[in-house]
Amino acid sequence: MLPLSGWINAVADAVVPVVQPYFRAVSTALSVPMQAIRQALIWLPWPAAALMICAAAAGAGGVRLVAVAAAAVVYVLLADYWIEAMNTLALVILAVPLSVAAGFAIGVMAWRWPQLGPVVTAALDLMQTVPAFAYLIPLLLLFGFGPVVGLIASAIYAIPPMVRNVMLGLERVPSEVTEAGLMAGCNPRQSFWHVTLPTALPQLLVGVNQTTMAALSMVIVAAIIGGFQDIGWEVLSSMRKAEFGQSILSGLVIALMAILADRITRGFADREAGGAGGRLAGRTIMVMFAVSLGLGFLLRFFLAGGALMPGGDVTRQYVTVLNQWVLALVQDHAALFAAIKNGVLYAFLLPLRIGVSGAATPYLWGFVMTPGLIALYGVVCAALAGWAFVSGRWRLAVFVIMAGTLLFTGLQAFPWPVFVLGLALMAYQSMGWKMAVFVAAGTCLILANGLWAALVQSLYLCVVAVLLSGLIGAALGLWAASSDRVSAAVRPVCDALQTMPQFVFLIPALMFFKVGEFTALIAIVLYAVVPPIRYVEHGLRHVDAGVMEAVTQIGTTPWQRLWHVRLPLALPVIMLGVNQTIMAALSMLAIAALVGTRDLGQQVYVALGKADAGMGLVAGLSIAFIAIVSDRLIHAWIGSGFAPEDGAGSLDGGRG
Amino acid sequence: MKAVNALWAGCIGLSLIAAPAAAAEMGDTAEPIKLAVLEWTGAHISTHVAGQLLEKLGYKVEYVTAGNFPQFSGLADGTLSASVEIWLNNVGDIYPKVLEAGQIQNIGLLGLQTREGWIYPKFMEEVCPGLPDWAAMEKPECIQALMTPETAPNARFLDYPADWGSRAATILADNDMPYTAVPAGSEGALVAELESSAAAKTPLMMMFWAPHYALAETEVGWVTMPPCKEDNNEHCITPPDVAKVVWSGFEEKWPAAYTFLREFQLGADDQQQMMLKVDKNGEDLDAVAADWISGNEGVWKPWIEAAGE
Repeated sequence: MLPLSGWINAVADAVVPVVQPYFRAVSTALSVPMQAIRQALIWLPWPAAALMICAAAAGAGGVRLVAVAAAAVVYVLLADYWIEAMNTLALVILAVPLSVAAGFAIGVMAWRWPQLGPVVTAALDLMQTVPAFAYLIPLLLLFGFGPVVGLIASAIYAIPPMVRNVMLGLERVPSEVTEAGLMAGCNPRQSFWHVTLPTALPQLLVGVNQTTMAALSMVIVAAIIGGFQDIGWEVLSSMRKAEFGQSILSGLVIALMAILADRITRGFADREAGGAGGRLAGRTIMVMFAVSLGLGFLLRFFLAGGALMPGGDVTRQYVTVLNQWVLALVQDHAALFAAIKNGVLYAFLLPLRIGVSGAATPYLWGFVMTPGLIALYGVVCAALAGWAFVSGRWRLAVFVIMAGTLLFTGLQAFPWPVFVLGLALMAYQSMGWKMAVFVAAGTCLILANGLWAALVQSLYLCVVAVLLSGLIGAALGLWAASSDRVSAAVRPVCDALQTMPQFVFLIPALMFFKVGEFTALIAIVLYAVVPPIRYVEHGLRHVDAGVMEAVTQIGTTPWQRLWHVRLPLALPVIMLGVNQTIMAALSMLAIAALVGTRDLGQQVYVALGKADAGMGLVAGLSIAFIAIVSDRLIHAWIGSGFAPEDGAGSLDGGRG
Repeated sequence: MKAVNALWAGCIGLSLIAAPAAAAEMGDTAEPIKLAVLEWTGAHISTHVAGQLLEKLGYKVEYVTAGNFPQFSGLADGTLSASVEIWLNNVGDIYPKVLEAGQIQNIGLLGLQTREGWIYPKFMEEVCPGLPDWAAMEKPECIQALMTPETAPNARFLDYPADWGSRAATILADNDMPYTAVPAGSEGALVAELESSAAAKTPLMMMFWAPHYALAETEVGWVTMPPCKEDNNEHCITPPDVAKVVWSGFEEKWPAAYTFLREFQLGADDQQQMMLKVDKNGEDLDAVAADWISGNEGVWKPWIEAAGE
C-alpha cells in the first residue's frame, strides 16, 4: 500500500510551522472586517435591515420579488433566527467580494496568457470537486480556529464560477468591437477597461450570481468548525439531535437567503444586460438605503434593542407538531417503508453490489447458483458477445462481456484490472491516449492507497443514484415541459431541494429507512434529481420554434414530435443535465457518510474526525478524480462543437 | 466518584498551601474568557452553568460555538480559553497531540457519572426473552427479528459512527455472536434510529451512552455485557471519563478562574434534569442554568470561595 497520506502529513508537519505565522496574519487581517460586518449587522435593527433588503429587491425585480423578500424577513423573525441569519449574512457579504475579486483577477490572467489555461482549468476542477471536508483540516492548521476558516473554505468553492465566467465573457467579446476601439485610438489599457470589459459585463454578472450561490452553499461547512453562532450551526445541531422540525426551520432560512440572493443578483445582472424597465432607479435605492440607516439609528436610540425582537414561541409549537407527525408516520407505516426498502434492495441494489453470485443465497433470493446455472449464464453472455462481434460491433461485444461479468460478480468483487483496462479503453476511444493514461494512473493511485473498496462503493452508490435521479427527474422534467402549471409548481420545490442544506433530508430518511446505503441513496437522489428536471424541461422548451412549426405542419402526432424531434434536438442540453446530476451525486457523498456508508465520503469524514489531513486529501482527491473523468467523458460524448447555453463551462452549479 | 472528589479536594488544598498568594489574583478581567459551546445539549448546560458562575466571580464570559474536534485547534492557540465537557472517549487523534505538545491542559474530571454500553428499546424484552442478559441476544428468535437483507444471515447491530472506533464489533467477535456491526455515521443517525424504533416497534440493538437527552424521552434497557476477553479499551466497555480542558496560558491569565474551573463539578442527575427542561419543555438555556445556580448555592459556594481566597 502506498502511504501517500502519510507523506502528505509528513510534508505538512514540516511546512506548516514555517508558513503558519503568515497564514495566521492573513487570518487576523480577515477577522477584522468580518467582526465589523457582524457587529454592524447585529446592531442594525431588523426593520431597517428589512427595508434595505426590500429596496435591493425592488431594484432587482418587480413587486413579486419585494413580496418574496418581505416574506423571507417575516419568516426569519418568526422562526427567531435573526441574529444567526445576520451572522451568516456577514460571512457571505465578505466571501462574495473576495471571491469575485480573486476570480476576476485569475480569469483575466488566464485570458491574457492562454498558456496558463490548462493549469487554471485543472485547479478550478479540483476546487469544485474536492469535498470541502477534505481540506478543512489543513485550513484549520494554517488559519487557526474561527469563522475565518469558513470564510476561506467558502471562497475556495466560490471562486471557480467567477473565473469561468470571466474567461468565457472575455473570449466572447467580438473582435469587431475591440478593433473599433483600437481604431478610435485606445491604448491597450483603455481598450481593456473601456471596450472589452463593458462588452463582457453581462457574462461577468452571471459569474457574480453563481459565486454568491456557491458561497451560500458553503455556509453549512463553515459551521462544522464553529466559532460564531450562524444558521449553519443551528442546522448541524438539529441534525445531531435528529430533530426534523428544527432542522427544516433552520434549513429554510438558508434556502430563503439563497433564493433571495439568487433572484436579486440575477435581477441586477439582467438590468445591466438591458432588461425590462419598471424597476427602481439606482439613485432611489441609495436614498432608501440612507433612509433605512437613519431609521436604524432612530430605533436604536429611542427603543431598547430587546423589545424589537418577536419571540419564537409560536414556531416552536409547529416544530413539535412536525416532529410528532414524522414519528406518527414512522409508527403507522413501518411495514410499508420496510417493504419499499427491501424491494429496492433485493431487486436493484444487492445484485449490483454483490452480483448474482452473491445475492443468490437461500437468505436473499431463495435459491443457489448451481454449477449448471453458472454455466448457462456464461454461455448466454458468450453467445450475446459472439453475436455482437460477428455482426461487426466489437465495442458492443466488449460491453456485453464487461456487463455480464459485472452482473455476476457485482461491483464489489469485480476484478480491478478489468475495471482499470475497461475505463482506460473508454477514455482512449473518446478522448485519446492522454486521457487514457490519466485514467489509468488515477485509478492505480487510488488502488495503491488502499481506497479501492471505498472507490467501488462510491461508484456503486453514484451509479444507482444517477440512474434513479435521471429516471425520476426526466419524467418530472417532461411533465413540466408540457404544462406551465406543473412547471410553476416544480420550480420552488427544485429551489428548496437545491438550496436547503442537504443534512436536512437525512433525518426523515433515517427515520423511515434506518442507517444504511438505501437511506444514503434517498438523500443523494433528493439532491441529484434537480438537474435532470431543470435541464430536461429547459432543453425541451427551447427547441427551435421554426422546427416545431415545420414538423407540426407535416402532420406528426405529439408523441412523434417528442420522440423524433424534440428529444433528439434537446439531447445536448439533456446530456449537460446528466453531467450535473453526476456532479451533484458526487458532492453528496461526503454528506451521505453521516448515515453510515462505506464510501470515499466516509473516508473523508473519518479523516476529519481524526484530524488526519493527508488521508482526507487523498480521499477527497479520489472523489474529484471520479468527477473530472466522468465530466470529460460526457463532454467528449456531447461533442466539442457544442457550447453550454449559459456558457459557464462544465462544472458550474446547475442552477438553470 | 466521591473518592475522586476527595482526591481533588486534597490536591486543591495542597496547592492552596503551596501558593496562597497566586490564588487570590483575578488576572485579566477585562478580556472575556471564551468558553467552547459544543454541539450537544449536555455540553450547553455544563458550559452555561460554568460561565454564569465565572461571571459571579467577576469575569467576562463569551460563549463560542465549536465543533468537537476543531475546538482543540482553538484551545491550542488560545482562541478558545476553556472547554468544560470533553468526553475523553471521543477526542480523535488531535487531543493527545496538543496535550503532549503542552498547548492545552487537562484540569481534571467534570464529575459527570457516565455510562456506555449496548441498549435496546424496552419492548425488545418481549422480542428477545431473557434480556437484559447478553445471552438472550443469541437466541434464534432474537437473531431472526434483528436480521436485515444487508446483514443476513447475521443480525444487525447498530454501532457508533466509523470515526469513533468500533469496540462493539470486537466484542461481538470475541463472543462469536452472529451479529454484524453497522456503523451509524453520526450521532443524529443513532438518535433517529432509536426514536423511530421505539415509535414503530421495529427491533433494534445498539451502542449508546448516558447521560443523553434521548434517553429522557425513550425508555431503554442496558444489556448486561458478556465478560471481557481482555481487560482493555478494545475488548471492554468502561464508562468514559469526562474532563475539563483549558488553554495552556489560562492559569497565568486568569488565576482565580483557573482555580474555580478545577473545582467545578456537575453531576449526571443535575445535568439530565436540566436537559429535559431545555430540550423537552423548551425552556431558555440561560434561565435553566440560573435556576440551578440559585437552587444549589451550597454546592458552588465552596468553589467560588476557593478561587477567591
